[in-house]
Amino acid sequence: MDAIETRSLTKRYGRTLALDGLDLRVTRGEVYGYLGPNGAGKTTTIRLLLGLHRPTGGSAALFGVDAWREPVAAHRHVAYVAGEPTLWPGLTSAETFAYLARLHGSTDSAYRDELIQRFRVEPDKKVRALSKGNRQKVQLVAAFASRADLLILDEPTSGLDPLMEMAFRRTVAEAKERGQTIFLSSHELSEVEAVCDRVGILRRGRLVDEGTLAELRHLDTQTWEIDFAGEPPDLSRVRGVSDVERNGSTLHLEVTGDPSDLIAALAGADVVALHTRELSLEEIFLHHYEGSDAGGRS
Amino acid sequence: MGAASAVARRAFADGRTRTLSFAALIAFLGYASPAGYRQAYPTVADRAAFARSFGTNKAVELFYGTPHDLLSVGGFTGWRVGGTVAIFAAVWGLLAAVRFARTEEDAGRQELVLGAGTGRRAVYFASVAATLAGLAVLAAALVLVSAAARLPLGASVFLAAASLSPALVFVGAGCCVSQLAAGRRVALELGTVLVLAAYLLRVVGDVAGGARFALWLTPLGWAEQMRPFAQPRPWLLVLPLATGAVLIAVAAEASARRDVGRGLVEGRDESPPRLALLGSPTALAARSGLGTFGAWLGGTSLLALVIGLLSTAFTPENIPAQLRRDLRKLGSASLTSPGGALGFYFLFFVLGVSLFGCAQIAAARRDEADGQLELLLALPVGRMRWLGARLVLITCSTAALALAAGLFAWVGAASRGAGVALPRLLEAGANCIPAGLLFVAAGALAFAAVPRAAPAVAYAFVLASFVWELVADLLGVPSSLVGLSPFAHVGLVPGAPFRAGAAAAMLGLAAAAAGAAIAVFARRDLQGA
Repeated sequence: MDAIETRSLTKRYGRTLALDGLDLRVTRGEVYGYLGPNGAGKTTTIRLLLGLHRPTGGSAALFGVDAWREPVAAHRHVAYVAGEPTLWPGLTSAETFAYLARLHGSTDSAYRDELIQRFRVEPDKKVRALSKGNRQKVQLVAAFASRADLLILDEPTSGLDPLMEMAFRRTVAEAKERGQTIFLSSHELSEVEAVCDRVGILRRGRLVDEGTLAELRHLDTQTWEIDFAGEPPDLSRVRGVSDVERNGSTLHLEVTGDPSDLIAALAGADVVALHTRELSLEEIFLHHYEGSDAGGRS
Repeated sequence: MGAASAVARRAFADGRTRTLSFAALIAFLGYASPAGYRQAYPTVADRAAFARSFGTNKAVELFYGTPHDLLSVGGFTGWRVGGTVAIFAAVWGLLAAVRFARTEEDAGRQELVLGAGTGRRAVYFASVAATLAGLAVLAAALVLVSAAARLPLGASVFLAAASLSPALVFVGAGCCVSQLAAGRRVALELGTVLVLAAYLLRVVGDVAGGARFALWLTPLGWAEQMRPFAQPRPWLLVLPLATGAVLIAVAAEASARRDVGRGLVEGRDESPPRLALLGSPTALAARSGLGTFGAWLGGTSLLALVIGLLSTAFTPENIPAQLRRDLRKLGSASLTSPGGALGFYFLFFVLGVSLFGCAQIAAARRDEADGQLELLLALPVGRMRWLGARLVLITCSTAALALAAGLFAWVGAASRGAGVALPRLLEAGANCIPAGLLFVAAGALAFAAVPRAAPAVAYAFVLASFVWELVADLLGVPSSLVGLSPFAHVGLVPGAPFRAGAAAAMLGLAAAAAGAAIAVFARRDLQGA
């Protein structure tokens, strides 16, 4: 049974189509990165997964339990970190941990104490006196300490400093080792690249690409950077070549499929240096969005 | 200047629902009172009889203040409308000030405005200007309806100025408490204490012999002393104008000196963990609402005590036969016995208890708007259970408040030898519960169906019902229309028998509405602010 399974999940707000027939499967023990620009439908997906909003069509299930019809049963194995860390302003961090643990029904207090140290949370501080990043840390500690089978994290590192982001990555790795499933909605590409097994890319309420990072790179696309001694030749018409950018005597381009035509075209040119590398997640991401209006509602 | 006027326009637009609701309420009261008085007491003799009885009654003064002329339509309006509108004005001023001086800051919008290069004083005074424009709307509403009710224009303008003058002081007071407190809720609670204190001082000044000086200590007393339509004293307007200006200026200075997002008086930011009442969302709601409940309990008990002390104010000889007939129209068996008087006053506790219920519905809505409910429902917490348990909590606290009113009214009455037994007064308290719960359930239904508008709908339903109850009989409308207000179905215990049928019907309706609220809430999307 998958940790998350949605079937043709659709949500409309009035005339806005926020999510359009989403079919998503996240298997147990997987760290799944859910990418998309602002307004693509990431938060809408999470609200439907948690049964906070009602699907207009289709269904969402957590561990086989319908998220809208049986939210209480579905949430027994779930911990959630909200994008806006509101919490309860009048409670201290320690009181927040106690409250959430009682409502959740389980917590690993030894691990929680370790996380309090790691994230440098001040337990006696009232939430209202905390900055956004510090409130985010309180949420993260509570969620990871719950040892829930599935963690749903909505942009969990917005507001965290780089040190805390490292602590977050380490904690995700520990959860993965323990077999917990993580659904990570984000637009922090480096973070997703660093921690996720699989990635789904959402655009205007539709999943436009999905797979492991290697699959997303489509294996056969590479970035080439070529330095020439003199004037660079025009390579834009060579088969398989796209996205040619010139910077002085250097060309930046992408090659899809067999590069032999490009190599032949370079034979007569005065090449000084040549670097090739695979596409970064950022380049994949931009591929899906460049020239398109990514508007919608989150 | 462009930025400041943009801020002012924004602030004015923000308050438009509140201002228009209050304007409608004031307009209705301002029109119905003179029109109703003219109809109910057409001759000078009728009015003289009314003046002899009601005009000298301490207990009536408790609610409306001291009348200065009850023989003319204007004099009656100045007393009845003026006294009530002064209280509305105080509440409106407080709400308006806390809105611009604190709520904007809590929401982080103030930082955006300040960050865009507009100075703090400019933002502050632009908001004050917008609030004064809102006050002008209220004044215009009252002047227009007074003119429509055939009262002289000049005197109507003075009535509006006098009765709305407390708003100036409470705008200033609201600005000041917004500087002290580090959050909207605390600011509103402090402000409510000030409004209550102003009201109590006016009550003491009006009803306690030898304590008339107390009237000079409260803006509500100043408004009363201006005596519109009787012996107008316009120079007294200097008092609210000067006090309001000083308070507004003091708050402006304080606002410019403190950190944005903080208060001058901060609660402790750190404390050792207190783990009581953290076992469930309902327990936490009880824990967070404890301070507010305590304030309501204290205020209600105090007012009940005063009412108990005044229960012997009516005597048979000061109620003429004609008025007794009129009072029967009100459904009150007899005001001349302490029990009858208490029964009449307990109608105001029905109002108080209902408003408390509205505040609780508003708090539940705030939990949703602020995102806490989203966190709860992402846990193994069911929606129906959450709302159901919350309504049970509201029911219990509402009942506690109502019974406290009964208990303290008894303490007051017993100390005057009024001869009303404790069980009868506890019954009077309990008698507030069905109508109160009906309003709570209506508010819950609004929360489920139209969440963003729920607090406004809940308060509007209660206030409109109450104003209808006050004026419908004066207007001589058919009893079926009078009966639209739940207040019309409350038996005036202990003076009149408990109306079990009506109470059961209200409780049944409340249960049905609460059930519908839970069912509708279970099916809707959560909605942020």
